[in-house]
Amino acid sequence: MYSLLLIGISIFAGLLGSILGLGGGIIIVPALTIFFGVDIRYAIAASLISIIATSSGAAAGFLRDRLTNLRLAVLLEVGTVLGAMFGFIISSKIESSVLFLLFGGFLLFSSIMMLRKKSDSHSNVDHPWSQKLKLASSYTDENEKLIFYKVANVPFGVAAMTIAGMLSALLGIGSGIFKVMAMDNAMKIPMKVSSATSNFMIGVTASASAGAFLLRGDIRPEIACPVSVGIIAGSWLGARLMPKMPAILIRRIFIVVLAIVSIQMILRGLKT
Amino acid sequence: MNTKPNLEIKISWFLRIGVIVAGFLLLAGVISTFKFNGNPFFVFQVYDKIPLQIGLLHHLKHQQWGMLLSYTGLIVLITLPIIRVILTAILFIRQKEYHLACIAIVVLLGLMMSFSLGFEI
Repeated sequence: MYSLLLIGISIFAGLLGSILGLGGGIIIVPALTIFFGVDIRYAIAASLISIIATSSGAAAGFLRDRLTNLRLAVLLEVGTVLGAMFGFIISSKIESSVLFLLFGGFLLFSSIMMLRKKSDSHSNVDHPWSQKLKLASSYTDENEKLIFYKVANVPFGVAAMTIAGMLSALLGIGSGIFKVMAMDNAMKIPMKVSSATSNFMIGVTASASAGAFLLRGDIRPEIACPVSVGIIAGSWLGARLMPKMPAILIRRIFIVVLAIVSIQMILRGLKT
Repeated sequence: MNTKPNLEIKISWFLRIGVIVAGFLLLAGVISTFKFNGNPFFVFQVYDKIPLQIGLLHHLKHQQWGMLLSYTGLIVLITLPIIRVILTAILFIRQKEYHLACIAIVVLLGLMMSFSLGFEI
């Protein structure tokens, strides 16, 4: 029965994740630790696996739609993979209580970021690295209009991705919110391209630490398999239900839930 | 000129099929190890480090095929992004974009290095 309950929660996480454009990680880790009492290290490792599944599935669609900036993704992945390595090393040195506090803090940050109004950034200057690697590109918007964009602050972007990679390995999340924020605010990349490119990178970021966690024995199939199956099914369902769902209402409810869960995680970290 | 769209579509298909294959393997693993009674997560309330090779040998010895199937699904899933990086490097080499191909190879080496951190020496 417990396995069925976990699959059910994972389907819900995948569904909600795809409607809100988030990975399931920020839902699954609190669910595993708070509801099932699983050690946070196992929860983080299981979550990373499910992130690879959802990111790879979504990346396929974004690539087909030509929203992903493949050239930029490859460059930024240098930062995320490096960060994931640091994150894995740090994760074995710190206490579970610190992970709870970090996770709670990240959830609180995510809920505040979700309140932010989304607006497209634009840069008139192309960074020299962008010129050299031809990172500036274009995409077609919803009105079938071709939008050209340039890429600013490339070194800052790589540095920000290192932090994103570290957070991903430490907390078992895709850190998509952080990646999109860096690409949107600092690198001045349009939101649609930022989201698609971030999603494309999440698989590689999560895989870097997931491989190490698997070899170390932190990824236990008894937890990771039901979670992944549920999340794959949930996000598949979410993609199909999305046009019919009241996304703004769900988003508002989710922000409140996220804030409550973040406080619970912080309290758990303070208690242990 | 046409290699870019073609290989991008191929990468997209590869990812889609990879997730489906991994999903079925994981589902088969879940079904074959499913327990109706008891709390299978109780043992995971306390962190206990068992390296992958020891776990795999244990399941092989006891012929626990469901667990082995689950591990296969997990390995397929983790391998997907690695193959994706290799395909991206090939795409850039075909386009004669050698700087980007080198960067993709650096990412690949980074992934290998990261994996090696999981080995307990």
